[in-house]
Amino acid sequence: MDLLFQNKKISGVLTILPEREILFEDEMSNYNFTAAKSLKLKMAMGYNKHRIVEEGVCVSDICCHGLNYLFEHDKLKKNEIDALILITQSPDYFMPPTSNIIQGILGLKKDMICIDINQGCAGFVLGLVQAFMFLDQPSINKVVLLNADVLSRKVSKRDRNSNPLIGDGASITIVERSDESQNIYGNIWMDGTRADALMIPAGGFREPATNETAILKEDENGNFRSREDLIMKGDEVFNFVQQEVPPMIEALLDKASVSKDAVDYYMFHQPNRFMLHKLADKLNVPHEKMPSNVVENFGNASGVSIPTNITFNLGEKLCTEKKLLCFSGFGVGLTWGSLLMNVGKLNFCELINY
Amino acid sequence: MEEYFKQMAELLEVDSVNTNDELNSFEAWDSLTILSIIAFVNDSYAVTLNANEIKEARTIGGLKKVIDSKKK
Repeated sequence: MDLLFQNKKISGVLTILPEREILFEDEMSNYNFTAAKSLKLKMAMGYNKHRIVEEGVCVSDICCHGLNYLFEHDKLKKNEIDALILITQSPDYFMPPTSNIIQGILGLKKDMICIDINQGCAGFVLGLVQAFMFLDQPSINKVVLLNADVLSRKVSKRDRNSNPLIGDGASITIVERSDESQNIYGNIWMDGTRADALMIPAGGFREPATNETAILKEDENGNFRSREDLIMKGDEVFNFVQQEVPPMIEALLDKASVSKDAVDYYMFHQPNRFMLHKLADKLNVPHEKMPSNVVENFGNASGVSIPTNITFNLGEKLCTEKKLLCFSGFGVGLTWGSLLMNVGKLNFCELINY
Repeated sequence: MEEYFKQMAELLEVDSVNTNDELNSFEAWDSLTILSIIAFVNDSYAVTLNANEIKEARTIGGLKKVIDSKKK
């Protein structure tokens, strides 16, 4: 589905990552593979270190830390937040929404909207789309988009398929109306028939957690995980991304009448370096224009990976300059989406630790 | 065909491979090798394979047959 927005802008991005850093080598003994085989995987996929929360840390803890940082540094005022969107797959509770929890902890005004959205790797694109739609309401002038996940808590340490790449963290993106009448182009696709490619089978209402669902079992590839852990069908996800994302980006640029060269950076979600290089090659985009270093430095924190990409790779540059960015997120759902927009002259664009 | 054998030998980390070699008999065989084969077949033959199709092909020659049967 094609999307079109006008008079909207991003005015600040903050990424908050847990201080705790774990090296790939530190976890190799958890895996049921020889060190040589695991090191080969590390080289091929571009794994190195990842940021993981301490035990018990929840999404609201990281989000509140980041929002307090913005309040304390006069980068955001409490009473100007008209909507709080939290995109997460690891909420504090089933109920109430974690965005309401955050509103309560921080003492935000009551005359506002709080909403949780269950989305993953396409969560930054989905979140921006929701923020733009809220901004069409005259009463909503400023939207705070929170992307946050602590999915390491739902990944088996003995799963070499998912554990080396998982990351935790949160990002805060300020979205508001703009006087400049520039078009923002987007498109979004969904395919629920492939929903089982990325899922946590047990722990919800369909398959409640029991003693049985907590038992670690070995799969045919030698990975151990329980029904309560995240399971990813690596081959299906790889094929999905290579098949669906390039034509979506071609269609987006076509709709916007923008050439590939005119885009300054392709800021894509990063599952691993291998997949990003394949995507760049398929799209015929130079690797320098599609950064792929987030997973090796921080891990993949689903919806947080694009904001991490922005703050880590573009950072200060976006406070003074304006760049034409192409965002794309793809993953759980399955969901794939993209946005093409000018981003720059930001009030802040930085990465802090939790 | 020669190019296919050469590429497969490289992915399986051996000097050469034969038609009847069993895929899972190679020392290097694991889920990463399967993903590398998926990527190689996609790049070279514009054919999309999943992990099960590769496993069910069993041998080097069997895999080539699956690729050829999926070529448009």
